Amino acid sequence: MILGTHRAPSDLGSLEPGTHLCALEQGLARLDRVAATFVAHGLAAGDQVLYIASDREVGELLRVLPGHLDAGQAVGTGQLVTSSFDDAYGSSPPDDLGTVADGFRAAAGLARKKGFPGLRVAARMDPLADLLGSFDAVVEWERMASGLQRQLGVSSVCLYDVGGLAEWQGAALAAEHDGLAPDRDVPAIASFLAVDEPWGLRVTGEVDVSNRELLHRMVASRAAVTPRVRLDLGGMTFADVGTVAGLRSVAAALPDSGYLVLAQVPAVVRRILDATGLGHDKLRLEP
Amino acid sequence: MSPSATHTSLLYASDRDYATEAGGFLRDGLERGHRTLVMAPPSRTEVLRSELGGDADEVTFVDDSIAYAPQWNVYRVLLDFAAAAPGTRSCVIAEQGSGRRTAAELVDYRRIESAINLVFAEHPVDLLCPYDATLPSDLLDIAMRTHVGVRRGGSVADNPGFRDPLAVLTELSAVAVPPAASTTLDCSHPSDVALVRRSVRARGAEIGLDTEVVADVALALTEVLTNALLHGAPPARVHLYEEDGMWVCHVQDGGGSPLDLLAGVVPPAQPADHGYGLWLARQLVSAVDVGSGPTGTHVRLHTRRS
Repeated sequence: MILGTHRAPSDLGSLEPGTHLCALEQGLARLDRVAATFVAHGLAAGDQVLYIASDREVGELLRVLPGHLDAGQAVGTGQLVTSSFDDAYGSSPPDDLGTVADGFRAAAGLARKKGFPGLRVAARMDPLADLLGSFDAVVEWERMASGLQRQLGVSSVCLYDVGGLAEWQGAALAAEHDGLAPDRDVPAIASFLAVDEPWGLRVTGEVDVSNRELLHRMVASRAAVTPRVRLDLGGMTFADVGTVAGLRSVAAALPDSGYLVLAQVPAVVRRILDATGLGHDKLRLEP
Repeated sequence: MSPSATHTSLLYASDRDYATEAGGFLRDGLERGHRTLVMAPPSRTEVLRSELGGDADEVTFVDDSIAYAPQWNVYRVLLDFAAAAPGTRSCVIAEQGSGRRTAAELVDYRRIESAINLVFAEHPVDLLCPYDATLPSDLLDIAMRTHVGVRRGGSVADNPGFRDPLAVLTELSAVAVPPAASTTLDCSHPSDVALVRRSVRARGAEIGLDTEVVADVALALTEVLTNALLHGAPPARVHLYEEDGMWVCHVQDGGGSPLDLLAGVVPPAQPADHGYGLWLARQLVSAVDVGSGPTGTHVRLHTRRS
């Protein structure tokens, strides 16, 4: 029995920003799978995702991420960032946890500056006890992280191999998290991926009441960096009127020099625009 | 000139009769400097063109196959026409072809003719709805009950058969119970909407509907189901069945708020983030019933099988 399974795995499709999840799994392969599921959902939601892991683990993630998420492009645009454990946490024990927290805070700010609505972190945590000097220090770190992440709106999954932990240790770690991350989840019905040139994003799949807020905050975040944003809708297979109305609102709120370009507009969006008259000068359709 | 609307029926017995009455209506309007719009089948349009001669060039003609496809689109044509010259009085002829109608479409026809008295009450528009006097009695009954005036011999008389539009709309908002053989899908979470959409697409393809028609139904259903999830009370359910030659996607929720009989009959006056769902559904499917009762709020989307 896996420790901490008294809680049901969280639903990544409706994850509140600032949720602190953990995975307590036996063996690296299972942890690889939890990490890939978490990263895939984060990328699809338009967030920046930081994966703190070894070269082998990063290589495995890039290999298994589904093709429509285009891992290569995600790395290119900085939507997917990877870091070794040492680069993220340092190679010598920090003077105090506040230093590490400052790094966390800076990373969240940088995600917004780069045009992402939020930051999600997946971290392999097994080296942390050695770095901090004791298991108790790890628990203390996790406790601080819960509050900090809630404050910053950063969601994470902390990946532990229970093979190296006593049962009580697993339970102690689980108690410091909001829930367990699932090793598999229903794939998101749409993905919102950053594109740098031209500045904007690419939408694939279906957008409706379950995920349109994610799209709107992604577009608003891109527009906050450069108010001319191009949405490649070539892979969009459905949108509802709330999706279109929200895009119009984002466009209408842009400064005078700004606009949204909708490219490869699917028939369903044209149908909605036509029937509702929700067009706007700053919402430009590429023919 | 009164700023309010008039809504008048015309029962015509022949082309000659039609030409004199409808042509006279338009000519009066043109003489007064009003804008003129005709939504009618090609056979009627021809009669009007020959009656008006050169004056026909000043009239905007919209074929009924566009204006009434689907039926609620007629409101949109009216709104668009009015928006092109706000404040200027319009004379409008509105007549659907006499083609086959299903029971659900007839009910919507009555709703459209009845609600127009309320929705366009403050618009500067004179609406004339010609009805061929040889039409079946159910259609002629709509003409008789929903028009404030009757045009005859070049003048308009009060219509003694006119009924209060709110009373008519209330009667037409009775709840229909889904048949026992219907397929029922539960929808409790926003993420269920995509699953329901998938089922509806599969079913639509199975019964042989065109891809574009199925796409319109999927969009209409998404809007109505989203309304049920956001504004209705749980549980939200979708019943799929066939009735009177129509494929019905029936959304039921626990209800709660009182029914607005005019909800979604016209779009929001100003662009908004909300308030388009039911309006859009009416632009996408053949007929839309909205009802409420002890079993909750029911919205039925009817799609023609052929």
